[in-house]
Amino acid sequence: MPAEELGKASRRMRLAFAISSVAFLVVLAVSPVRDYLRAWKRYERDYIRFAQSRPDTKQLLADKPFEIDQIWIPQMQVVDRCTTCHQGITQPTLEDSSVIQPFRAHPHIPHRVRDWGCVICHRGQGLATEVRDAHETTLAWEQPILPVRYIQASCGVCHRSDLPQTPRLNRGRKLLAALNCVGCHRLQGIERPAMLGPDLTNIASKVSRAWIYKWLKDPRTLTASDGSVVVNGYENEDEPRMPKFRLNENELRALSGYLSTLQTETLQPYKFDPREVAAWDRKPDLVEQGETRFRQMFCTTCHSLAVTRAGETKLIGGDIGPELTKVGSKANPDWLTAWLRNPQAYLPQAQMPRYQWSDQDLYIVTRYIESRLTDPTLLSDVPKLQSPTAAESQLGRRLFLEKGCASCHVIKGVASQADYGPDLASLGSKTVSQLEFGNSRMARTLVSYIEAKITDPLSVNTAARMPQYSLTPNDLEAITSALLSMSGNPARAGLENLILPAKHPQFRPAGAFGELFERYKCDVCHRFNGFGGTLAPDLTFEGSRAQRKWMVDFLKNPQTLRPTLTFRMPQFNMTTEEATVLADYLGIVMQTPNVNLEGVNAKQFSPPIVSLGKQLYEVKYQCQSCHTIGSTGGYVGPNLSNVGNWMNPAWLEGWLKDPQSLVPDAIEPRRAFTDEERTALTAYLMTLKQNGSTRTTAAAGRGQ
Amino acid sequence: MRLKLIVVLALLLSAGFGTSCREKPAAAKPDPLARAYDSEPDWNDPQHVISLNYQQAQGKRVFYQYCVWCHADSTPAGPSNRSNLNPNPPLGNDGATLNPLSDDFMRNVITLGGGVVGKSTSMPPWGKTLSQDDIDAVIAFYRAIAQPPYQAPARPGPKYSVR
Repeated sequence: MPAEELGKASRRMRLAFAISSVAFLVVLAVSPVRDYLRAWKRYERDYIRFAQSRPDTKQLLADKPFEIDQIWIPQMQVVDRCTTCHQGITQPTLEDSSVIQPFRAHPHIPHRVRDWGCVICHRGQGLATEVRDAHETTLAWEQPILPVRYIQASCGVCHRSDLPQTPRLNRGRKLLAALNCVGCHRLQGIERPAMLGPDLTNIASKVSRAWIYKWLKDPRTLTASDGSVVVNGYENEDEPRMPKFRLNENELRALSGYLSTLQTETLQPYKFDPREVAAWDRKPDLVEQGETRFRQMFCTTCHSLAVTRAGETKLIGGDIGPELTKVGSKANPDWLTAWLRNPQAYLPQAQMPRYQWSDQDLYIVTRYIESRLTDPTLLSDVPKLQSPTAAESQLGRRLFLEKGCASCHVIKGVASQADYGPDLASLGSKTVSQLEFGNSRMARTLVSYIEAKITDPLSVNTAARMPQYSLTPNDLEAITSALLSMSGNPARAGLENLILPAKHPQFRPAGAFGELFERYKCDVCHRFNGFGGTLAPDLTFEGSRAQRKWMVDFLKNPQTLRPTLTFRMPQFNMTTEEATVLADYLGIVMQTPNVNLEGVNAKQFSPPIVSLGKQLYEVKYQCQSCHTIGSTGGYVGPNLSNVGNWMNPAWLEGWLKDPQSLVPDAIEPRRAFTDEERTALTAYLMTLKQNGSTRTTAAAGRGQ
Repeated sequence: MRLKLIVVLALLLSAGFGTSCREKPAAAKPDPLARAYDSEPDWNDPQHVISLNYQQAQGKRVFYQYCVWCHADSTPAGPSNRSNLNPNPPLGNDGATLNPLSDDFMRNVITLGGGVVGKSTSMPPWGKTLSQDDIDAVIAFYRAIAQPPYQAPARPGPKYSVR
């Protein structure tokens, strides 16, 4: 090889070496550069600059580790590195919303961040140190961060009973129970009740085929003129308990046909004395009297009626029973009379109390319902329906099972279906790969799946059997929260020890009181030892609170004790014996250990003490701001005009000491009374007595 | 010459590679997390919904249990006790009255009652019924729904923003 060629080759070689060594250097430099540019390191440097720009630099940078920071809770297998970037999370001075993320402090909640970590509540990937890995769904991680509006779901994972701080979750749980979701799905913490929808065994004695057709087509009785607002429902939130099934004309005819043949017992019409009826019928204001009676008995405490005022239709009344605006066009009059006399004869599980009716009241109220609570056009859009053919009935019976009707409704002789839909008891801990999205184009996350499924069941699965609900956005969020909280057996070891189970107290009194308790359904509105409704006062300690004689009088003729309350205790027309049985039981059994009835002697209240109490009431503590005596005072607390006949003095003393110890969510503020002041106030209150006023309203109520 | 070019190119490449790996913060795109913890419609204009953070939402809960009876014109039970009192208590969203009052003053009125700070004694003390957290939460709620809106007093120190 000639020398110059050799020189050329070596020069080329040297060049190649030079280039490759530079390339090597560059490659070697990539990793330190990349390391320097890691997001968490950048946030670390940013945090220092941020802290230095504030007056409290020293505090913000005290004990700050300049490395990956993690919260390690071995018992729960938590390793959260979120605090590597969210460095100000525990700094009380950074709570303000003007502090830029990711440095803002966590809002002050009952759990400390250092004790619990982040992902137990917020989900996401705690180990990750990249922004995307930590927050979003990646190939290796399917539980992204939970949107803040659903964060209450995480409270519900451990706190299985309702917390006051989680209204959205509580509302969701309540809706899941009220909308009978448990008819088809297994849900965590919600038991299948004895009755979901009404028993349809004798439905033909109650309604016509045309009405069934109409109801199945669109289960609402009231629609606004634009067709949007519908009222038949739940807490005036416009959602009927019965959802809309997507039935075609054939299916509507078949199902309505089948149901209209269901009648195993012939209805025995209640026999009024025809001479009396003739006398009542002669009254020109019969219907008006019926309406007055309907009002006086406070049917609207549980049932609502649509009232149109100034062009705006509103539901007035309670949501415990069905809305009744058009019930006269629905129910067969004979059935209605029989139902009002004894609801449990038709539906053994009905919540409606069995009133003591006089024949006249029963007749005029029925007449009022039949003639005033009607809508002649209600069934006008229903096609002419003949009596059903055998083929229709057969198809109807099949549809009853196929559509899942048998999950909520019972028909004697037809097997009932429990768990017709998928088990949702652990829906909240499902990963994306366990969900079926079909061909839909939504985001592949658990949250969007649940939202889509509830909004439109067909959007994720065109063959879905689930019926259509129309929920408001708020209710949708509430239900989604409640479903997300159903984590089944938590995947995280150690978490199961933290679960605070929901209590399901029972109160089933026996004996004569038990019979009356069942008859008047006290627990539908009142609460006893944590069991029962929340519409009316908790009666757990009623025996400590009220005097026996007052209880008897009140039960016979209830009055509203709080002027602001719109719901009132119905007038059951109890006999004296019944009222005495109830008052005796409540007085002896329902007592609190915090009130010693023997401890306060009302005889020691001398006139000077009473006048001191009056002064304290009116001047120093201004109780009249909230309480009414006679005709003056406030509307917040109960009317005290008759408190001397109503309450036990020992209860009043205990109440003035600490109201929340007797009724945990009482509105009355706890004040710092001295012992003398408390005695004086009690003495004054015990002098407030009204005599005979209860009788006058009672007489007015029956005054026909 | 060519060598220099190669080196420069290589450096540029590696730099580009390095930066492309750094993630943008999640806030850059429309973020579902930005939706509020809770909300309350503006009392004067129901179409305008005010979003509430955690603390304000707790304040809303306390307000609707204890305060609403006298500090609103409609209550969960219907009528209000407000018109019944003399002087009329301010509405919960009355910014003109409440905005000038400092947080400390509000805390005192609620904890110790109106009489202590020279206001109406009809306002009872809530210090033994509500916790300090509850009271702070209620104040935060009042500030959130105030009309005209509440402006927090200026804080010392420059505002910082991430690059």
